[in-house]
Amino acid sequence: MFLRLVADSFSRRPRHKLLTGAALALGMAVATAALSVSLDVGDRLAHEFRSLGANLMVTPHADSLPLEIGGVDYRPVNAGAYLPEADLGKLKTIFWRNNIVGFAPALEAPVDAWTKSSQTYSAPAAEAHATLIGTWASHTVAIPDGSTYISGIEKTNPWWQVDGRWFKDNADECVVGKSFAARSGVKIGNVLNISAAHKNLSLLVTGILSGGGPEDDAIVAPIAIAQEIAGKPGEYRRLYVSALTKPEDDFGRRDPHTLAPADYERWYCTPYISSIALQINQVLPGADVRVIRRVADGEGAVLTRVRTLLWLVTFASLLAAALAVGASSAASVMERRTEIGLMKALGAGSGTVGFLLAAEQLLLALVGGGLGYALGIFLARLIGQRIFGAVPEFSFFVLAVIVGLAAIVTLLGSAIPLRRASRYEPAPILRGE
Amino acid sequence: MPDRKMFWRIIRRLLTANRGRFLVILLALGAGATITAALLNLQVDAKRRLSSEFRTLGANVVVTPRSATSLSNGTLDESVANRIPKQSEGGTVGVVSFLYVVANASVDQQQKHSQAVVAGISGDPLSSVAPFQETSHTASTHGSSFCEVGTEIARQLQANIPARLVLQVEAVSVSCPVSGVLSFGGSEDNQIFLPDMAAAQRLARLPGRISLIQLSVPGTPQSIARYIDSLAQRIPEADVHGIRQFTEGEARIYNRISGILSATVALVLVLTGLCVMAAMTNVAMERRNDVGLMKAIGGATRRVLRLFLAEAAILGLTGGIIGAAIGILLSMWLGKAVFGIAARPRLIVYPVAVALTIIVAIAGAYPLRRLANIRPAAVFRGEA
Repeated sequence: MFLRLVADSFSRRPRHKLLTGAALALGMAVATAALSVSLDVGDRLAHEFRSLGANLMVTPHADSLPLEIGGVDYRPVNAGAYLPEADLGKLKTIFWRNNIVGFAPALEAPVDAWTKSSQTYSAPAAEAHATLIGTWASHTVAIPDGSTYISGIEKTNPWWQVDGRWFKDNADECVVGKSFAARSGVKIGNVLNISAAHKNLSLLVTGILSGGGPEDDAIVAPIAIAQEIAGKPGEYRRLYVSALTKPEDDFGRRDPHTLAPADYERWYCTPYISSIALQINQVLPGADVRVIRRVADGEGAVLTRVRTLLWLVTFASLLAAALAVGASSAASVMERRTEIGLMKALGAGSGTVGFLLAAEQLLLALVGGGLGYALGIFLARLIGQRIFGAVPEFSFFVLAVIVGLAAIVTLLGSAIPLRRASRYEPAPILRGE
Repeated sequence: MPDRKMFWRIIRRLLTANRGRFLVILLALGAGATITAALLNLQVDAKRRLSSEFRTLGANVVVTPRSATSLSNGTLDESVANRIPKQSEGGTVGVVSFLYVVANASVDQQQKHSQAVVAGISGDPLSSVAPFQETSHTASTHGSSFCEVGTEIARQLQANIPARLVLQVEAVSVSCPVSGVLSFGGSEDNQIFLPDMAAAQRLARLPGRISLIQLSVPGTPQSIARYIDSLAQRIPEADVHGIRQFTEGEARIYNRISGILSATVALVLVLTGLCVMAAMTNVAMERRNDVGLMKAIGGATRRVLRLFLAEAAILGLTGGIIGAAIGILLSMWLGKAVFGIAARPRLIVYPVAVALTIIVAIAGAYPLRRLANIRPAAVFRGEA
């Protein structure tokens, strides 16, 4: 009988139920979309921040003081310490290895450079004192566990644009900075002759690099060539690491040496920039791992703000959804005064009537909430695709919150009119007063 | 005109007859307007704040000598820094001039010495263009001739506070007490910062010259690009360019964040609209009996409808005005919670929020349209 009453109520006034259900579904759809977007946004934005490039720099610990102005080291090649390139695979063995999105070593060498054409014509015969930066463009790194990983300057310095193409890792090729190219008249496809203390090399120019920094005045070539020129086979002087991190909070800023063992564990197992720096230091002996403050701190500040802001907006949307759904379910109960009066006149107790109406509302909440969830996920995918070019990941948390919210809100919304309904005297209602 | 007088009299009665109901509707409308106004205001403000938040990334524009083949040679006149406008569309621009010179640095009364890069700085505080963490510092920076050192220098020379550094280039020497040890995580860690620009110029033997100027320009990506263009015209003798790493990265992130903000705010606005509409539908449905009565005693459908739409508009206006005012206050408080500075109220938000509320309130009365088909007799018989 109970089920029949519920079924009857749905089939007798399909339009009404449809309206209430639609309001519910719409509200829940918007709430779902807002919630899944803001759950996802932290990770997505952290990835976006990697477009600022490396946030960690590794240098040899025993290094003499670099005389570096504007990215160019003025020390002679034989001064200072170096680090072995062969160790770099170990970076992908640390605890937060999956958070390391790219790394590239660099070795600079002072060279003289000239092209055939500049030699023939009267223009400066040689570009004396140019800098050659040796690095990886896109290099396959062997990882100690047997796998390989592709990394290079394209990942750590994504703002470097190459007109043409990058050099191949083991070829006699190079790209030249755009200011260098403009000054010396080098074009793509030319052969650039390089000479250093005891080496003479000919490199094919495969691209013109524009980066907006000192690299615009330099020649960028595979690191093996720089090592050959500098006479430091298999070594590098500087390593850039780009890692996904969690913004440092008060706990993250504490000195790890002063932490209790349990806290240390927690600190070590959180992807703070400083704990990743420590882990890199552990696999690269003799290295100094430094946090590039302007990138790391800027990222932390902006991410924290945006997250707080989005949570506020999401909270507002959940509140608004709750209000909308509550109001429409209250309306749907209030409309049925006559029916309630009739049921009571026929001898139904307030409890039975309330139970019946609550069951109807819950059924509506489940159907409407489910539909709204599906619609909301679609909406969230649309937003994610438009803004980040990637869809948010599926999360059970959102489903649970949405269905729970739908049920609670419809029940609360109908509870107030139901309480009033339970006090109704059947006679005046049936008389139409 | 008695007709109009009657009209308003009925409206007054409609609104005051049931005070409790009136308050509930006003609350729903007010809540909608509050959320609308708060979010709109916060959104306008947040985008502006975010672009200034990006300045924690430091300099994004540099001015370098045009003739330079690399940063080590070629200099600018120091007066160039005075021709840089301190205000951009986005706020105050941080301007710091640098002069680099390689000097022999040693700590007073110690044997240790090393070649080091000394950067003479002038203009705004160094932190406005090169963010750092201060590992140690002293408050007593009396006099102008003190210097700050990068962590690497401090480690190599053991130049900690309050050691006295002696910087020497050939016969010229400058000495200064160390007032702070700074960690940048870049090549600045190997530099000594001398806020006494004249002393650096004496060391470099380049009186009145500087190597480059770093600028930290706040604002949206478009306004930064405009600033760079106008600066390049203003200083034709120098090369003005954005630091691609930061200008591009910032533009990308800024666009993402403002996109996500707009999307969520739009979602919430749809929701509040829905919420207000649900409340108004409620009112409309309750009016069935009144409509029936009015029609029974000869009210034309159009006049009856006009009456109820006027009621909806009045409710919307009142709720909107109260809600928008609360909303703007709320957004100021939220702005303080998120960005540490109260959001500035935008006047445009106020009429927009009120108008939106009225539109939604009238749209919510849309089911009244169906009342036009009500046959009074059916209503009075209690059929519905």
